[in-house]
Amino acid sequence: MEALKLKLKQEIIEALNLQDTKPEDIDDNAPLFGEGLGLDSIDSLELMVLLERNYKIKVEDPREGRKILQSVQSMAEFIMSKQAA
Amino acid sequence: MEIKCYIQASAAISPQQSFEGSYEPQLLPLEARNLLRAQEPGYAGFIPPNSLRRMSRLLKMGLTTALQCLRNANAPVPGAIITGTGRGSLQDTEKFLHDIRTYEETALNPTPFIQSTYNSVNGLIALQQQCTDYNNTFVHRGFSFEHALLDSLLQIQEGAESVLTGGFDEMTLEHFFIKSRIGYWKSALTQPAEMLVSGTPGAIAGEGATFFLIGTAPGAVELMGMQMSYKPDAAGVSETLAQFLAQHGVKEEEIDLLVSGRNGDVRFDHFYDIAEKALTPATAKIHFKQFCGEYDTAGAFGMWTATQELLSGRHKTALIYNHFYGEQHTFILLQRH
Repeated sequence: MEALKLKLKQEIIEALNLQDTKPEDIDDNAPLFGEGLGLDSIDSLELMVLLERNYKIKVEDPREGRKILQSVQSMAEFIMSKQAA
Repeated sequence: MEIKCYIQASAAISPQQSFEGSYEPQLLPLEARNLLRAQEPGYAGFIPPNSLRRMSRLLKMGLTTALQCLRNANAPVPGAIITGTGRGSLQDTEKFLHDIRTYEETALNPTPFIQSTYNSVNGLIALQQQCTDYNNTFVHRGFSFEHALLDSLLQIQEGAESVLTGGFDEMTLEHFFIKSRIGYWKSALTQPAEMLVSGTPGAIAGEGATFFLIGTAPGAVELMGMQMSYKPDAAGVSETLAQFLAQHGVKEEEIDLLVSGRNGDVRFDHFYDIAEKALTPATAKIHFKQFCGEYDTAGAFGMWTATQELLSGRHKTALIYNHFYGEQHTFILLQRH
């Protein structure tokens, strides 16, 4: 799980071009949107694409997406649950 | 024109050090290929970090040039935003097309698609400056900036007090390669200092973003008029120029500066001979593509060059003559007051 979260943080930084942000700057449980990283709706689409491209997971229901993209922790838990299934 | 138009401010990002406000064009050396790259400024003072991280190169160049022009004019909200671009954001277009192929039309990132649309720069300017007035982008190859300028002049005739108008284009290595296959660029490495006497086909590629705030408030440089002509022959160029000058009551001998788009392409440079011969030998000549290279909206940099020359006080009346690969020809008249 820890390795996955670190990998996710690196992928988020690269995909969203978060200059001057390092993986250690991102708290596992901090909200990705609004406060925390301050991401917006276009970023949420990019994160959906990231999940699809890197983990072959397609999020069909936008309401489900809101929960999944809450934090790095929630994203990692979702990926692991899908990979275990 | 019934209502006089003046250039109230300008800004340019180009291969020259033009953005800092100094006007000292240099013949820059080329090392690897016939391409003059724009010198980009720091963007942090213009664009919020959260927006900056998502923007591609052309968007940053276009938006920053527009904002600098508005700052120079001390006019944050123009009466309209009208631009021209021949290619829009090539970097985003290429990324989007590349992703379509790589991911077989699935899992496509929305950002490059959004930014690859031609009017992205206009939208960003309008959002950042909260300008809800007329907003339009023209995409007509070598007539792109010129149509934006024509629309700007028409808007002013219809009541707009000021219009932010500009042109922007970038060059990517992939697009440079594609265009090299169809003879756009000189095949051998040619320095800008030698391009006009190279005696070879093709040009040196360039890129840049140039903006003007034009309006009715009297300024130092009047934009007297513009005339476009599509695919004229030699006689047509001569006739169009004569009519254009007569229409604006300007005699050939009154023009003391010709800013020409001559680029050393032996296939099309003969058109510039016509304009040069129509003027007096005393008319000073500046071939602006030695400084910015060739691109669809290079004419905007030509107008910026002429504006700087007039503002320097060295000249009174400037004629700009530019064409894009012999097809889209444009004359513009500027006069210092």
